[in-house]
Amino acid sequence: MDTKPKPDGIVLTEAQKKRRRERSLAIAWALGILVVLFFAVTMVKGPGVLVRPM
Amino acid sequence: MSVLDQNAIDLSLPRISEASVADYIALLKPRVMSLVVFTAAVGFFLAPGHVHPVLAITSILCIAVGGGASGALNMALEGDIDALMTRTANRPIPRGRVLPGEAMAFGLTLAFFSVMTLGILVNWLAGALLAFTIFFYVVIYTMWLKRWTAQNIVIGGAAGALPPVVAWAAATGSLSVEPILLFLIIFFWTPPHFWALALFRNDDYARAGVPMLPVVAGPDATRLQILLYTVVLVAIAAAPWPMGYFDAVYGVASLILGAGMLWLAVDIYRYRTGRAALRATRRMFAFSILYLFALFAILLLEVVAKAIAPLIW
Repeated sequence: MDTKPKPDGIVLTEAQKKRRRERSLAIAWALGILVVLFFAVTMVKGPGVLVRPM
Repeated sequence: MSVLDQNAIDLSLPRISEASVADYIALLKPRVMSLVVFTAAVGFFLAPGHVHPVLAITSILCIAVGGGASGALNMALEGDIDALMTRTANRPIPRGRVLPGEAMAFGLTLAFFSVMTLGILVNWLAGALLAFTIFFYVVIYTMWLKRWTAQNIVIGGAAGALPPVVAWAAATGSLSVEPILLFLIIFFWTPPHFWALALFRNDDYARAGVPMLPVVAGPDATRLQILLYTVVLVAIAAAPWPMGYFDAVYGVASLILGAGMLWLAVDIYRYRTGRAALRATRRMFAFSILYLFALFAILLLEVVAKAIAPLIW
C-alpha cells in the first residue's frame, strides 16, 4: 500500500475553475456552430458542395 | 512607466488563467468588428445575383471572425504600447488577464478557421482575399508600418477597406468596379477619421512612441492633411453617382453628408488652440463614423427597396 503523501500540485481556486468551465463551454459552442454551419451548407449545396470555383 | 504596472504578471509563478470569455471577446475588438460586419454586409448585398441565405450568413460570419482574429493578433503584438496609452490600457493584455502568447494562439486559430471555412464553403477567391486582409492588417500595418512611419494609417487603412471587397467576392466569385469604389471610400475615409482621433490623443501616441502624424509632423500639418483628404474623400464618395454605379438618392446623400465632413474639416483647420480646437477634432471623429455608416446604410436601403418594390407594385 502506497503511504507516501500525494503532492498538492497546482490546485485551482473556485474562480479559476469557474472561468475555465466558461471558456470550455464557449469553445464547445464555437465548435458546435462550425459543425452546424458545415452541415447546413452541405444541405444547401447538395452535390455541388464539392464544386469550389476560384 | 506603464499605465497599469500594478497589474503586471509575476512570471516566476505557475500561471493559471483567470481570463473570462468576455476578455477573449474584447480581444476581437467588437466595435471594429461591427463596422467590418456592416460594410461587408453592404458589399455582399450590393453584389448582383441571388445567393442562398445560409451562404450569405456563412460569408459574413467568416469575415467577422477574420476581422476579430486580426484584432486579437494586433493586441497580441501591441501589448507594450497598449499599456502606455489611456485609451487602450484597459485591454485584456495590459491588464494582465490574457498573455500575449494566448492572444496570439487565439488569433491564429480564428484566422485559420475563418479563412479555411470561407474558402471551403463559399469560394477560394473570397478566402484568399480574407487571408490577405488579415496578413495586411497584422504584418504590414501592425508589425511594420505602425511603429515606423507617419503614413501608417494611410497605407494600413487598406486592411479596413477590404471587407466589402471580400464580401463581394464571396457573393459573386469575382471582382468588379463597385467593390473597388467601396474600398476607395473607406480607404480615403480612414486618414481624416484617425488623424482627428490622433489630434486629441496626441499625448497618448507620443508617450507610446507611435509615429502618428500629429506626433511626427505636428498638429498644424495634420490639420491640413485632414482637410485635403476630406476633399478627396467627398469627391470619391460622390463619384459613383455620375459614373452610373449608384443611384441619385445615394449621390445626393453623399454630397449632403460630404458637406458636413468638409465643414468639420475646415473647422479643424481654422481652430488650432483651446477648447474650440479640441471640440472640432472630437466632432470630426464622431461625425466621420456617422458619415461612413450613413453612406453604406443608404446603399443597403437602396438594395432592399429594389428587392421589395416588385412585391409592392
